[in-house]
Amino acid sequence: MNQNQFESTLQELKAGEEDIRPSDVVVYSEPLRSVLNSAIRLGRISLTDLARQLELKRGQAKQIADLLVTRNLFHVSTLSNEDEIFYETRMSSMTRPLGRPRPDIWKKIDD
Amino acid sequence: MSKIVSVHSFRGGTGKSNTTANLAALLAVGGARVGVVDTDIQSPGIHILFNLDESEMVHSLNDYLWGKCGIKDAAHDVTGHLGTQVKGQIFLIPSSIKAGEIARILREGYDVGLLNDGFRDIVTEMGLDYLLIDTHPGLNEETLLSIAISDALVIIMRPDQQDYQGTAVTVDVARKLDVPKMMMLVNKTPTAFDFDDVRARVEQTYKVSVAAVLPHSDEMMTLASSGIFSLKYPDHPITQGLKAVVAGISS
Repeated sequence: MNQNQFESTLQELKAGEEDIRPSDVVVYSEPLRSVLNSAIRLGRISLTDLARQLELKRGQAKQIADLLVTRNLFHVSTLSNEDEIFYETRMSSMTRPLGRPRPDIWKKIDD
Repeated sequence: MSKIVSVHSFRGGTGKSNTTANLAALLAVGGARVGVVDTDIQSPGIHILFNLDESEMVHSLNDYLWGKCGIKDAAHDVTGHLGTQVKGQIFLIPSSIKAGEIARILREGYDVGLLNDGFRDIVTEMGLDYLLIDTHPGLNEETLLSIAISDALVIIMRPDQQDYQGTAVTVDVARKLDVPKMMMLVNKTPTAFDFDDVRARVEQTYKVSVAAVLPHSDEMMTLASSGIFSLKYPDHPITQGLKAVVAGISS
């Protein structure tokens, strides 16, 4: 991921305030989308793996991970230690009713 | 290694619940421990196929989502309800059929994360070989979630123009969620159709393999969800087709 892509990814994640929903992940740009899909399906990812899969420096990947923690998709695992941060993935939507995907999801998927 | 399998269709009435119940039964016949979750909270029904009466439902998925019980407490062993002996076991987590509880969950919603946790926890806590998720038709956050965490996705459609268009959307979304394995099941196919032609057309349209093309069946309609078709008609072409789906899931 080059610097422009990194900045764009940060903006993408900062654009929303609510917890990340499944329908949010579907419309994220690459490589964020596929990396998150993999992490969600596996249930966990390390900061090292996140950086490697996004092709970012560790510090940059940490910025993205911090945003994902803020938006409740990533949770720092108790397995984390001085050498490595492990994140558990969990889609959550506290106090949110059964809802619909964002109104422009179909356009986003078609784009 | 356990597998989570979602059974989905864009439109209603394609036979998701029947298919899910039959797949669970065939897997149990083969000796597997199978969990089935009815996530169609708005219109639950798979419990009828397993002859689980409302009075027997100690806890439902609704209770778990409201924090009233653990996910394991909502699992009902329905193996003995199948009417025939099988080597494996089936555990059903039903959704509540009480109108007030359906209305409540529609009004208040629930923590989607609990559903995520529940799927993973039930597999571990019950030592399941397979967890089958019977989904609500169409695309919503819950169906997207089930697809997002599934190892395999069975998409059911009928050879109908409305299904063709809607299924394209589902396949597209499933690809964006990077489902490891996806297969199509064409159901309720008129016997006048050329089944090979239907298979070829669907595979060409969606670039997804078709596990089976199942015929429209008077026997299925007559059974009317009062039991598991594949156990009552083990040699029927429908059962042979469902076994092909099981083979696709298992591989």
